[in-house]
Amino acid sequence: MDDASRAKICRRTVMPVKEVVELLKRGKALAKRTKYKEAIIHFEKALSLDPNYPESWLLRATAFIETGRYKEALADCERALALDQNYADAWSKKGLVLYNLERFDEGILASTRATTLNGNDAAAWYIKGVCLDELGRNDEAQEAYGKSLELEIILDMDAERKKVGR
Amino acid sequence: MKTEIPLSKPIRRFLTSTEEILDTEISLLRQADAEPGGTLVDIYTYDIEKNVIILPAQYIGLLKDFVIAKQCTNLLIKGAAAKKSRYLVCSYTEDSVYRGMRQIYLDALKDEAKKETKLPVQKLIQMLFILFAHFNDDINELPWNAIVNASVYHRMPKIRKTQLYHVMKESKTDMDEMMEQETIVPRRYFVLNKAMFYARDMFLAKTLPADELMPVLNIPQMKKFNHLEVKEMLTTRWTQTAWYQSKVFGDNMLAIMERPLNLVKWDAEPTLDYYFDLYKIGVNLTDNLISYMTMRDWFVWEEPKHLLEAHKNKEEFEKKALKKIFGDLITDAWEDG
Repeated sequence: MDDASRAKICRRTVMPVKEVVELLKRGKALAKRTKYKEAIIHFEKALSLDPNYPESWLLRATAFIETGRYKEALADCERALALDQNYADAWSKKGLVLYNLERFDEGILASTRATTLNGNDAAAWYIKGVCLDELGRNDEAQEAYGKSLELEIILDMDAERKKVGR
Repeated sequence: MKTEIPLSKPIRRFLTSTEEILDTEISLLRQADAEPGGTLVDIYTYDIEKNVIILPAQYIGLLKDFVIAKQCTNLLIKGAAAKKSRYLVCSYTEDSVYRGMRQIYLDALKDEAKKETKLPVQKLIQMLFILFAHFNDDINELPWNAIVNASVYHRMPKIRKTQLYHVMKESKTDMDEMMEQETIVPRRYFVLNKAMFYARDMFLAKTLPADELMPVLNIPQMKKFNHLEVKEMLTTRWTQTAWYQSKVFGDNMLAIMERPLNLVKWDAEPTLDYYFDLYKIGVNLTDNLISYMTMRDWFVWEEPKHLLEAHKNKEEFEKKALKKIFGDLITDAWEDG
């Protein structure tokens, strides 16, 4: 079992109440339709019911990112990580936020942590690459880009296969 | 350009310089069902205020960057044409549709005469405009695809590996195009269509050298291509297919493509004039390909609005052309299928 799967299981041991799950589900559906304001309201309701469920913080952070509210997104990522230090997706989102805040050194640290916990996170590898690129660390950037590209291609090929099989 | 989407440094610079050169604005939009190669919705084609590049939502890293680079180059070529002169595309009119469909019909009759199992008349009639429109789409896309890919290759060395994957993927899709209609489409058009893509692929195979293949080779699914050059990969694909005869035509088309494209100084300063030169080369290349395929009177160079209008009237054009070709023999039931 890899680190990411282990972390996921640990996180799942703290089960949210049914109502929270339902709110998050509805919030995610709204976010998918780019209705971020409404999505945030749902995530906030979920947080008021159970502030100890890391996924609620991360989902609100994601909605904040989409609306350009990076400082609030960063705070939410940190809340999620305070609840679960091995939450790979929260590290990945934190890396993205730090990149957007032009805090590239910290972005590298966060995305490196994300890729350590989940080596298959193409987005985290890419963010690591762009942060390194911004700091002029070209060779390291190319390495991270290379890894991100490999993963993206595998995902793309899988998606193509599914499309053909449909 | 303001975007929440993370972008690699060279792409961000390229986007900014594209906006500066054209004095325009570009937005990026992610969509789950976007075309794999992205879509450019530009102010030179449509009545809109801002250019939009639509990206597949699942592309999060360099795959997305390549799509942006490609569409920015497309935009630069279109914009340079519009600013320096007029941006024109291959459109069609009622008369040109008639000429094209008539030619396809005559060629189809020659094919049908040799066939044991004849194509049902209704299918043959339906095929005429579909094939005509197909060549219109391809001729508006293919020459520019070669130019844009060559330009991106020379200007964006950091995304070459990504480009290679896109080229291989695109090539596979284009090769499969029309396959299901192989027995229906007149041989000449089937071969010409394949030959066009063959020429494009061979031109790109010569442009993109083999050493750029890494690290794509680390991907298990692509390991079988190990030790193969890009050129070899694309050639192998083409020579092992049922349409090997496309090679003869394809080699001629490759020569048509190479003549102007080999003269381009791809690393020259990227100014408005430079991109206008690329546009002129593309127009010339398109003309030469149309000439080679003897489709000279099928299409007319017109502004994009004309083509959009022609698309709106295509059913009308098709009906009128069928009436002209078949006279009273054609009935509404036939036309409507």
